[in-house]
Amino acid sequence: MNQTELLDQFILEARECLEQVGQRLLDIEKAPTDPELLNDLFRLVHTLKGNCGLFEFKAMERVVHAGEDLLDRVRQGALAYNNDMADALLEAMDYTAQLVDQIERDGKIAASADGRSTQLASALRALLNAPPPAPPIAAAPSSQAAAAPATEPASPCPAWVEALPDQPWRTHPQAVIWRYQPEPECFFKGEDPWLLARQTPGLLHLHVGTQTDWPDLADADCYRCNLSFIGLSDAPLAYVEDHFRCVAEQLEVLPLSRLAPPSGAAQAPTSTAEQAAQRHIQTLRQRALQIWDDQVQLLNRGGARPGTVAAVRRALHQLLQALSDDTASQAQDSMAALPADVSAAALGHWAAAHRPADLASTEDSPPEVTDPGSPWPMPADEALTSPGQDAARRGAGDDPAHHKVLKVGQEKIDRLMDLIGEMVVAKNALPYLAQRAETHFQQRELAREIKAQYAVINRIAEDMQHAIMQVRMMPVGTIFQRFGRLVRDISRKLGKDVQLVIEGEDTEADKNVIESLADPLIHIIRNSLDHGIEMPDVRTRAGKAAQGTIRVSARQESDRVLIEINDDGAGIDPQRIRQKAIERGLIPEDKAQTLSDTEAVQLIFLPGFSTADTISDLSGRGVGMDVVRTAVERINGSVELSSQFGKGTCLRLSLPLSMAVTNVMIIEAAGRRFGVPMDLIVETVRVHTDDIHHFKQARTTVLRGRIVPLQALHDLLALEAPPVMNEDSEYAVLVVRAGHESVGLLVDLFHGSSDIILKPLEGVLAGLTGFAGTALMGDGSVLMVLNPKELL
Amino acid sequence: MSRILVIDDAATVRMYHRKILGDAGWDTEEAINGLEALEKVGMLTDDEGFDLYVVDINMPKMDGFTFVRELRQLSAARQTPVMMVSTEAQSQDTQTAFDAGANCYLIKPAKPQELVLTAALLLGDRAAALKAAEGVRP
Repeated sequence: MNQTELLDQFILEARECLEQVGQRLLDIEKAPTDPELLNDLFRLVHTLKGNCGLFEFKAMERVVHAGEDLLDRVRQGALAYNNDMADALLEAMDYTAQLVDQIERDGKIAASADGRSTQLASALRALLNAPPPAPPIAAAPSSQAAAAPATEPASPCPAWVEALPDQPWRTHPQAVIWRYQPEPECFFKGEDPWLLARQTPGLLHLHVGTQTDWPDLADADCYRCNLSFIGLSDAPLAYVEDHFRCVAEQLEVLPLSRLAPPSGAAQAPTSTAEQAAQRHIQTLRQRALQIWDDQVQLLNRGGARPGTVAAVRRALHQLLQALSDDTASQAQDSMAALPADVSAAALGHWAAAHRPADLASTEDSPPEVTDPGSPWPMPADEALTSPGQDAARRGAGDDPAHHKVLKVGQEKIDRLMDLIGEMVVAKNALPYLAQRAETHFQQRELAREIKAQYAVINRIAEDMQHAIMQVRMMPVGTIFQRFGRLVRDISRKLGKDVQLVIEGEDTEADKNVIESLADPLIHIIRNSLDHGIEMPDVRTRAGKAAQGTIRVSARQESDRVLIEINDDGAGIDPQRIRQKAIERGLIPEDKAQTLSDTEAVQLIFLPGFSTADTISDLSGRGVGMDVVRTAVERINGSVELSSQFGKGTCLRLSLPLSMAVTNVMIIEAAGRRFGVPMDLIVETVRVHTDDIHHFKQARTTVLRGRIVPLQALHDLLALEAPPVMNEDSEYAVLVVRAGHESVGLLVDLFHGSSDIILKPLEGVLAGLTGFAGTALMGDGSVLMVLNPKELL
Repeated sequence: MSRILVIDDAATVRMYHRKILGDAGWDTEEAINGLEALEKVGMLTDDEGFDLYVVDINMPKMDGFTFVRELRQLSAARQTPVMMVSTEAQSQDTQTAFDAGANCYLIKPAKPQELVLTAALLLGDRAAALKAAEGVRP
């Protein structure tokens, strides 16, 4: 494990948290007092904040921390959740998501983010009745202190430090010094600056002054705060910052060790190795004594359980072990003499009596250089050690169902899928081999054994294929989740009242399918919001409920996923569509008038069609449903539209479950084999030559009462031979769907169907739009797969 | 070889703590909440338990306080020191942690050397403690 891995984990978890936070924030609008939801929300934000703290992501931590404090108050019932909060939190989380993207891109957050993050944090804190935003001061140098390279010159000493009467860098070279200047109105916010300053962790010294000179007593406003506190603390800088977190804008804090001593102050001597070693022992001892004292207090609290006493006893034993000097080993002996079930009081007594001696105080110990910098709070040399023997397991979610979840990068899954695809193709060579063994080498026995073995491998390969598909399956809910926010924001912007109903979000499909769906669906929903659902007053006049409904539902049917987007809005006016199409020159006028209403409505799928008279930022821009259709067809899906003017519109998307394996029909023409995707095939028929009608250059036939135009595949592909009939003078016709009509393809022979791994054409061949791609067959030959839509 | 159980619901924090403690030379395992940690502890016999628990407070299903309380109700032979590590810096949390039976309390994010020094002292590992002390301010 290394830094990058930790950062990747951070980004992964941050995104998960943010996604869930977004979801919960929408849920909570419906149930603003649900304690379960509020707790969840708080914990997610809390986790996010904790993770930020591991890195130097101050700008992000500031925003998230403010959100956490706000949610904490709501969770405790001190504040009621309201719309302003929702807006502020959503905005803050959006910004945080941007910061995560930035971290992923650059590994850090740009300094320019400080302004915006302070602004967002202040907005959140304002809802807490916290101080209003003060102009952002330079970020407290804590992060720089931790991350500054040792070679960096020390920061200059601020004037307010120099002005101190006693020179703190002499007496406490390792302390942090802070200045807290409460804002004048702080008393009205329930703050108690004096108490806050006095309770600073590790306080060594507190100096109280004024921010401006006191006015005359007669003019003084006793409700305005004019105090300025300067303090010295030996607690870590983070503790001090955390203590003042609610008034972070009013605090400056610096470690003295990073300050250049003011002119005239004596430079501390550099330490020798021996002194250093001595100091390390001293550090160890001091910390051990702190823990020792904690243990004594723990025992003296009363009510300690036997288990706690046993744990304390063990902790004391270990502390003595770590101190490992003469007195310690004596103490260990006397501890061993204590009864096994010693009482808390007795052990407390013993511990107080055997407290290891303090070493001579080392007040004159020289300051030491802080860690060499790295963006992580760990020294660079330590951070760059080689990975340990075990990389940390990737974490699972909170849900016990996902208890043993393993997160794997998608490229690994893709690689596995490719390998399985190759395996499937390779195993198909075995039947050919068996055939050769029999016919070519006259080894019937061997052929039988190869066939038997093939059956086994075939079963395993199919199971593998199935398993990898399962791995790649994702619930469509992962993209539906975004719609709630979309509908909420846009309907507010437009002043419409819209509810979103989501059904079947558990329906699963392949990850690629799901991901390519997000944009088309968002576009469709935007269209519904923008053009479909009417303003509340219009709806009421039309006798509808003022609130419009958009219903997104998903379900699985055999090997397809169907997604429907229904709205109960104005529907599509076929007459208006005709006009627009004519205006934009997409269709000649005479043809437009001959279209039925159902056909006219389909015109919106034409490239460049847009009915928006003004280009809004919601939809329009000349990008319309044609983009949706293209995107859906790219993943072998189809989209259908039906609309009732005045009642609403329904878009139905039909998608493959998976794009990994394509089922094709294999046909033959002029001695060559081609594949045709099964989902485009309507039927295969034999048509007698007498039933083929010639009309000018076109050939047609009548199938099930409908006229079907016929095209010879040989002509389309410029093959050297014409189609051949069988002995009954019948042509083989493959009826395929091309857009909205069926077309019959004349071929020579049908060869049944096959599951293939379709590879798109690459390089110079990519321009051949008539082909969807190629597939490797079991006998090692390459099958060209047709794209009938382009071909016709 | 000392064994440490890191209990935290944030995967990133678990990774961070395990990295730091693992580099100091100890074996680490992890649990994602108090309940899972208790299950882990419950499955161990007395002589193969952990030597230290590093516990977060705010976790789903079972928080850190409850975990420590439950742990302290097990037999004396199963008792090992608990280090609570959390972002809460409010004094009442420290008190609650001690009431529950935790042996010490660190604020997250703990500096690696602080974390290692404290862990080393609670594990009685002088060598590791001295090494960590180099990076800690007196």
